[in-house]
Amino acid sequence: MVRSARWYFVGLAALVVATLVVWRLEPPEWFRPVWTYILEVGLPATLRVSAIAVVGSAVIGVLLGTLLTIKFKPLQGLIRLYIEVFRGLPILVTVFIVYFGLPEISGALKFAPLTAAAIALVLWGSAQVAEATRGAVQSIPREQHEAAAALGFGWSGRHAFVILPQALRRLLPPFVSLLVNIIQNSTLAQTIGGVEILQAAKSQNERLSFPEPIGIGEIHAFEIFAGVMILFFVISFPLTRLAAVLEKRLARAGYG
Amino acid sequence: MLLAVTYDLWAFVSENWEELLDGLLNTLKVSAIAVVGAFFIGVLLGAARAHRIPVVSQLTAVYVEIVRNTPILVQIFLIFFALPQFGITLNQFTVAWLSVMVWGGAFNSENFRAGFEAVPYRYREAGYALGFGPRSTFVNVTLPIGGRIALPSSINTYISVVKNTSLMYVIAYPELTTTALNISAQSLETLEALTVLGVVYLTLVWSLSAAIRMLESRLALPEGR
Repeated sequence: MVRSARWYFVGLAALVVATLVVWRLEPPEWFRPVWTYILEVGLPATLRVSAIAVVGSAVIGVLLGTLLTIKFKPLQGLIRLYIEVFRGLPILVTVFIVYFGLPEISGALKFAPLTAAAIALVLWGSAQVAEATRGAVQSIPREQHEAAAALGFGWSGRHAFVILPQALRRLLPPFVSLLVNIIQNSTLAQTIGGVEILQAAKSQNERLSFPEPIGIGEIHAFEIFAGVMILFFVISFPLTRLAAVLEKRLARAGYG
Repeated sequence: MLLAVTYDLWAFVSENWEELLDGLLNTLKVSAIAVVGAFFIGVLLGAARAHRIPVVSQLTAVYVEIVRNTPILVQIFLIFFALPQFGITLNQFTVAWLSVMVWGGAFNSENFRAGFEAVPYRYREAGYALGFGPRSTFVNVTLPIGGRIALPSSINTYISVVKNTSLMYVIAYPELTTTALNISAQSLETLEALTVLGVVYLTLVWSLSAAIRMLESRLALPEGR
């Protein structure tokens, strides 16, 4: 961790310096408006969708995962089905189901592209979290349940105050990985026209290819999309490192 | 309410089955090429990483980190929209298998690295003691044992590869998702098209994960590690 973290910060510093230099010196004329748009319109949208999706996935996923440990067949069957369906479908198909499918069923279920993408990511993410939570809850020794019951806790009190606080510790690394996956998959909003980083970049790339008053009649796809790639890398890399470190720390603490 | 009446899955499938089948075959074709490619990339680069072969090992680490930390959709855009800027114009089919292969190969090299590293050193030592050189020790000892350890996680990667072929919708390559969505755009049979997509993808993915569970018990190492 220490070594890769150092390299990351060296790289990040170099990148920031390079960006500032390019920005302050004279970047090609197209450069500033394109990146201003991507960073001011695209980036906040990506972060907003990701934040909603992560919180929603965590809340629904932990709830479903905990309920899955109750030995009641019909409920277990339903939650299993939910998990297997949304983990099995390509997320793109889930996005289409939410964006194109739900409005066909009822007019009240018509969502804006970014909202639809966030909902699809919650469906997928909560299925992932539910599966992880089930494992984490079941890994808590039975004695903990018995001791809590002996102290007079009911099912909900036992889980809220004794079991889940311990299980959540085990869930920390998967949560960080989920965050990375959700940030990356938020680009799927592009396919339904939601203006996040990738769609912002794509529309700017198309604009530049138009003749003079609108664009400049040039293609700068590489500069734009490689820049988008660097942007995502800068956000994701420290998080994947963090997940690895948390995992190691848990394993060392005997929580494997 | 009217729409609930017009939902007719059978009519949708019977009218469009030829196109849908072509789409499915394209999905399978792209997946098959990408899976085979990802297997070889995974074994070769995974071995380079596990045995710390200089330069190749470091380059592989960079490749894996870039692929893992950037959205696959951006990778597809870069290959499809940016490469022509350098005079490399690839058709949709090539971009389709190439991009999921590059993606799957990165994840697979991590799977195989973990598998090869899990082979106890004493096994390789035994290989050397029997007079095998480093290369034949790898082929005869590390690969069969480590490959078995890596198999379940690598099949998980292949499942993701199959699912990711749906992203070729953005470059309009006529695989299953693109085909179904295009038909529904004309006929407005959106729910029918989405049902077909859901059923086909879940069948594919669930069959593959059932295969993993079967293989896991069949391929477990005899001595139980």
